[in-house]
Amino acid sequence: MPNRLGMHARPCAEFVKLAGGFSSSILVVRNEMRVNGKSIMGVLMLAAEKGSSLTITADGSDAEEAVAALANLVRAGFDE
Amino acid sequence: MPHRPDAGGPPVSSSITVRDLLTAREVALELELLTAGVPLDVHIGTPDVSSPGLALAGYTERFPDGRALVFGETEMSYLGTLDPQEAQARLAGVFARDVPAVFVTRGLDVPGHFLSAAARASIPVFRTGLDTGDFYRVLKPYLEDALAPTTTVHGSLADVYGIGLLFTGPSGIGKSECVLGLVARGHRLVADDVVLVSRRGNDVLMGKGHELQGFHMEIRGVGIIDVASMFGTRATRQRKRVEIIVDLETWDDSREYERTGLEREVTEILGVEIPRVTIPLNPGKNLAAISEVIAMNQLLAYSGVDVPTRFDDGLRKALNPRDSLIEDYE
Repeated sequence: MPNRLGMHARPCAEFVKLAGGFSSSILVVRNEMRVNGKSIMGVLMLAAEKGSSLTITADGSDAEEAVAALANLVRAGFDE
Repeated sequence: MPHRPDAGGPPVSSSITVRDLLTAREVALELELLTAGVPLDVHIGTPDVSSPGLALAGYTERFPDGRALVFGETEMSYLGTLDPQEAQARLAGVFARDVPAVFVTRGLDVPGHFLSAAARASIPVFRTGLDTGDFYRVLKPYLEDALAPTTTVHGSLADVYGIGLLFTGPSGIGKSECVLGLVARGHRLVADDVVLVSRRGNDVLMGKGHELQGFHMEIRGVGIIDVASMFGTRATRQRKRVEIIVDLETWDDSREYERTGLEREVTEILGVEIPRVTIPLNPGKNLAAISEVIAMNQLLAYSGVDVPTRFDDGLRKALNPRDSLIEDYE
């Protein structure tokens, strides 16, 4: 999680919007929290601060593209 | 019974440290730490607690390793009857075992040799003002709660007429909107979207929301709303037993839906089977009313009324009047 403010509301919205475009089911895990990557409340609950690490997994026909696109979004710091 | 993958993720191993007991605000353990310099980040792995009675008398064969020990008046006065060297040897024998913490009840005096023996074994000693019975009654449920197997489920939990309905289904199907409809009709939100489910005993699942989330929910097109400030206290509930899973899915013409209610489906969470009702969605369906019916059906079932079976029995009797005559005489 490179961006300074962590995953506050705007990055979370970007994340779920991107995730929602894929047909695969998407799971995001941080420590003991496992949430649906298409749900804004879920992704907000991860409370991922700068420097934290997330595991993104997807299951479905476009799983690989989904994981790659979401990982890129996070790595790019949500263009903040 | 139709197969359905288990809901929820793998159980998250719950753990609690001795330090957590000292700082726990939700229970009144009235603890005072007597040992200095003993590490407190020791994990307690079991909710079981015992008093060392026989182990102090020298019988350590069946000693339950891993449990916190409670020294009450019996143990402390027994130690007082032994000659000091003997008492120290017995204590050293007990403290050589796997003991995460020691509690002395009733605010009893704890001799210096007791504390130094515990400190040598790196076992923290606490004193509580509670008597032994009360202390057990407070500590046990607290430990069971803290050590309960827990998982997170993607869904929404609501209390409908006192029945805990857990709505599941794919993102965007309308779980939050369904729960919002229920809240508007006077029912209560427990958690939306991320439900923390923990197992009590072997057959009860309790659900609650994440602390950070409170009673917020996302309504597509509107954004994040706060149900607690919008609808007030009557609209929310901190925790609720999960009693029925209501699985929402888009209407699928190729799928057979339950028509009589005679067949029961279940979903397993943390090894507990929860009855599941699958509701196919199509435009114009009043989900809140259907949810109320599901809850009331469960209330009827709790009071011993199984409507589909009763209806079917009546029908069978009408179809075979002779059989029912014979049955009446039997």
